[in-house]
Amino acid sequence: MIKILAACGAGVNSSHQIKSALENEMKKRGYQVSVDTTMIKDINQDKLEHYDIFTQIANSNLGFEINIPVVDAGPILYRIPTMAEPVYQELEDTIKKLGKK
Amino acid sequence: MSAIIEIANKIFQPLIDLGAAPMMTIVLTLIALIFKVKPSRALEGGLKLGIAITGIGAIIDMLTNSFSQAMADFVERTGLSLNITDVGWAPLATITWGSPYTLYFLLVLVIVNVIMLIWKKTNTLDVDIFDVWHLAFVGLFAIWAGANLLIATALVIFIGIFKIINSDLMKPTFNDLLDAPDNNPMTTTHMNYMMNPIIMVFDKIFDKIFPWLDKYDFDAAKLNNKVGFWGSKFAIGIYLGIFVGLLAGQTPTEIFELSFTAAVSLELFSLIGQWFIDSIEPLSQGITDFASKRLKGRTLNIGLDWPFLAGRAEIWAAANILAPIMLLEAIVLPGNYLLPLGGIIAMGVTPALLVVTRGRIIRMIVIGAIELPVFLWAGTLAAPFVTNMAKNIGAFPEGVASNQLISQTTMEGPMEKFLGYLVGNASQGEIEFIIYAALALIAYLLIFMWYRREMNKRNAAYAAEKAEE
Repeated sequence: MIKILAACGAGVNSSHQIKSALENEMKKRGYQVSVDTTMIKDINQDKLEHYDIFTQIANSNLGFEINIPVVDAGPILYRIPTMAEPVYQELEDTIKKLGKK
Repeated sequence: MSAIIEIANKIFQPLIDLGAAPMMTIVLTLIALIFKVKPSRALEGGLKLGIAITGIGAIIDMLTNSFSQAMADFVERTGLSLNITDVGWAPLATITWGSPYTLYFLLVLVIVNVIMLIWKKTNTLDVDIFDVWHLAFVGLFAIWAGANLLIATALVIFIGIFKIINSDLMKPTFNDLLDAPDNNPMTTTHMNYMMNPIIMVFDKIFDKIFPWLDKYDFDAAKLNNKVGFWGSKFAIGIYLGIFVGLLAGQTPTEIFELSFTAAVSLELFSLIGQWFIDSIEPLSQGITDFASKRLKGRTLNIGLDWPFLAGRAEIWAAANILAPIMLLEAIVLPGNYLLPLGGIIAMGVTPALLVVTRGRIIRMIVIGAIELPVFLWAGTLAAPFVTNMAKNIGAFPEGVASNQLISQTTMEGPMEKFLGYLVGNASQGEIEFIIYAALALIAYLLIFMWYRREMNKRNAAYAAEKAEE
């Protein structure tokens, strides 16, 4: 199981769109992922330690170094399949690198 | 016109009589089907909207029930008439999405967007279907204040056009703030950025008089990190419970009960917020597919919800600092009856400050503090309408006194709320309101034109910078 944290402003709209898109697409590709959503301001180092990958919408300044792989998931929000595709690919590559199932 | 409304009423009355949750389940499912969403997905969305409306009603129930007596005592003991409960954005969004008019305004705005794209008046395709509720709220408010559907629609279109123009105007600034390449299509049509013109007036004053303040700007990310959980939703619920409980002269047991109820409500509000965002999801995708299919080959900017800027730490640092400032202002501000609670983290206020000042944090805080009263007054003005609407969809608790009102302190588009109110009242034919509404609309238009000119200058400077590189 790969644990992903998706963040956005209120933790409800954009991050939820990313959550459902990632969960659907990664299932299709044969990966077990679970995506949690959060308000970006509620992220701290402790919280991030519980996740394998952090997906952000745009460059995020959290006030500390992020030690897990970061995938830019913003293009999922455009709702246009060809633009979302590279995000899925990058996520898949990242998962492969982590060597998790 | 009246004949059409009569026929519509005949068709819709049995639907309305079902109650808001089943009615909106049916209406949303049908509209999603029109946009060729798969039937099972369409129904899924419809049902989720139904449960979101029901759920939010239950929590408003819980919050207002536990706060109503404390609020009454609080008012009596302190003499502060802050008797309107601030429920934050999630209940307001749910209540607004509980009206079929919101789907009607959505349809109108999709058409406006498509026409503007076809006529090349914009490059922005707005895919942020969910946030249409902000503008629908203005239309509904105007109707409540006395406008007919035609006038309310005209007002919604008027503001809707500005919103889309504004998203084009802001695009280069977004690239600058996000350090994004030119081919990044992210922009936003969110209504909180319609405060930009007003903020820019103050920003220009800053440029002239207080430019030295900028050198005190601090590292916002570090501050946020230090604030930690103390600024989270449940913590704020606890503070407010203690604050109200103490001033209401309650016992410790009662104060704890109040605090935990407030904390739970705030957490649950945003949880249920997720349900109804999920519910709009199939429709959003349907509309985007529909629009992008018909605009093949155009390079478009894509209008998203505001949070792609949420990675900028200044938004949160300013919101953290503005929260206690707002509480103080709410207490001393004449004409304000709202006690900040659900909306106290001023997310509806700070993104626009970031865009106009381009992240100069001291300016964001000072200008934010100056404009917060506008939000408090607008929230107060809209409270009877919000309360009435909540009652209509069955989201208002029966055990609470009918004079107990709900609203939001930091709702997007306070200026537009005033416009809705004035235009609605003017439609009743009162000469005084007609003059006010006309003046307000002209002022709104003029200040936006000035802002547009200033933003065009800014964008030309960005372009020149790029050309030099």
